[in-house]
Amino acid sequence: MTMLTLRSPVFSFRLPLRRVVVNALLAALAALLIVAGLFGGSYPVSFADFMAVLNGTTDAVTEMVVLDYRLPRILTALGVGLAFGLAGEMIQTLLRNPLASPDIIGFTAGAGTGALFTVAILGTTAFVVPGAMFGGLGAALIVIGLSWRRGIAPGQIVLIGIGITLTLGVIGDLLMTRLDATSAYELMKWLVGSLHSRSYADVQIIWLGLLILAPVAFWHQFILARASLDEPVALGLGIALNRSRMVTLGLAVGLVAVAVSAAGPLPFVAFVSGPIAHGLNRASRPTLLSAALVGAIITLFADMVSQTALSGMSLPAGVFTALIGAPVLIWVLIIQSRKNRL
Amino acid sequence: MKRNTSSHLATLAIMTTLGLVLAFVSLWFGVRPLPTSTVWQALVAFDPSNTEHMIVHELRLPRAMAALIGGGALGMAGALMQSLSRNPLADPGLLGVNGGAALGVVISIWVLGATAQSQLVFPALAGAGLAATLVLLLGGAVRPRGPDPTRLILAGAAVGALFLALTWAILILSRESLDTYRFWVLGGFTGITKSDLVALLPLFAVSLPMGLAAAFLLAPLILGDDTARALGVRVGFVRVFSTVAIVALCGLTVSMAGPIAFIGLVVPHLVRPLLGADLRLVAIGSFLTGAALAVLADILGRLILPGQEIEAGATMALIGGPSLILLVRFRREVAL
Repeated sequence: MTMLTLRSPVFSFRLPLRRVVVNALLAALAALLIVAGLFGGSYPVSFADFMAVLNGTTDAVTEMVVLDYRLPRILTALGVGLAFGLAGEMIQTLLRNPLASPDIIGFTAGAGTGALFTVAILGTTAFVVPGAMFGGLGAALIVIGLSWRRGIAPGQIVLIGIGITLTLGVIGDLLMTRLDATSAYELMKWLVGSLHSRSYADVQIIWLGLLILAPVAFWHQFILARASLDEPVALGLGIALNRSRMVTLGLAVGLVAVAVSAAGPLPFVAFVSGPIAHGLNRASRPTLLSAALVGAIITLFADMVSQTALSGMSLPAGVFTALIGAPVLIWVLIIQSRKNRL
Repeated sequence: MKRNTSSHLATLAIMTTLGLVLAFVSLWFGVRPLPTSTVWQALVAFDPSNTEHMIVHELRLPRAMAALIGGGALGMAGALMQSLSRNPLADPGLLGVNGGAALGVVISIWVLGATAQSQLVFPALAGAGLAATLVLLLGGAVRPRGPDPTRLILAGAAVGALFLALTWAILILSRESLDTYRFWVLGGFTGITKSDLVALLPLFAVSLPMGLAAAFLLAPLILGDDTARALGVRVGFVRVFSTVAIVALCGLTVSMAGPIAFIGLVVPHLVRPLLGADLRLVAIGSFLTGAALAVLADILGRLILPGQEIEAGATMALIGGPSLILLVRFRREVAL
């Protein structure tokens, strides 16, 4: 593997060249999607228009399109994608299972059931997000609590997560049949996850969350890389395994929580970002930055498709994250099996 | 050895009796409770002019039979799946057939305006078949060595998710499909009529013996691929054949009754302590126990909430989830 060596008088630093190139390309692609989202679409905005909006010297319509509609939507998509990508990669590294995702710790199922409960009991869709947060955090706590065995046991988390997820899923399905048709339809849209008509409140939630949690996640990845080795090896390296696992789970749950409250549980983003990033880097896990960027690219692209290609059908972005994510996973599968690595 | 065989036969006999007794008990329950004597009369001395006899024959008997066959098929498929993938946690649902069936269902509601349970059976079967074919191709079934188990599960997850995404898209495009789908997805034997059952029986009559044959073929693979090959087993063929059998069993069941979780996952674990590690016995035992469990779930679903019915699939998951957790908590050796 070609290494890139950065030297300064104080310290030197070696980076795999491939990782640098991959991350740069991913970042460029994400930037391209942001630009396309801002300037393209059904109401084209030129760069001059955009600068004029920032200077406050333009007509009300352009200002409204850019500032009230596009900017919050794109900022939410970017933040949510980064958060899901980070959370997915951390959970998959911790549990050493490419089929794991934050769903496995019960958060998504709990959030869905919580949202359904508020609607079924209170009869209004006003409290969907608090209900989802309550349900999601509750479910994650139950999964972690039940798999506690003088510390967090990763093998237990997967199994107990499956049990809790299936149970909550069925309770959700049962509640769904007790709702009237209109509420069921509205909730279905939320459960899939949407970026439609996001506000600056959503932007604040997701970016505040990222600002606090992402730096910790990036700092922690060096410990996580060692903590995900075989247990005796990790202990031999002097890793405080239990603390590292708690930090990882806490970060992942926090990131998923802010992302879900901003945009709903966009399916598949957290699940596929890690394997794709891993495949591109051909490096050992975790590859946090690449996974976060892949998550952002998928989310931004899904959002773009949902508003342009099939705008008449008004499908939410969550449908497209899944439609994009699934074939990508199949592609990764084929590539990996050609190399006989699976 | 001799003693073992007879005690295993006794265990299988007890499982069979349990299933049949539960199926008979399930005939009592319903909107109109029927006395045991009437049910018995309807079975042994059927009188077409008697309404109560007609209820037993046209509604409750097909429902009980469907639960027996569906539950049994899932149990057997679960035992095969766990042996094929060498993963005690593999569930036949991982092969993506549920997603395919769901897509078939919502498309038939959206395009053809289907609403009744019996109109959904064949679209679901077509969807499950399509998903299964894709999973087999992507999972590497055409390679000479046969499908790789890990790759098969990943392919199942990917194809299942793709079909689920398409299902969601249709559910959001058409409210009518959500209205029918949200009941179908609970899974249960409620709406099954005699004609549905008669139409599906020949297919089950082919796939259940296939499953049994797969159990006999897969059994030597427990020694490892190389040893099995040295014994003259065609490993690639055995894997393809077993996967086709699993997919057929699950696809038929999900078309008939909707997705029913947990039977495939849990039943083999209940059976193994009783019958040992021999896959041939475990597959038969899982068929019998799965059948009994599905009927039990169908009965409990009618009793839990007075005046309301909870679909058997939902009941199964409500019981199965907590019991899986208990199993994990109190048995040290279970791990992924």
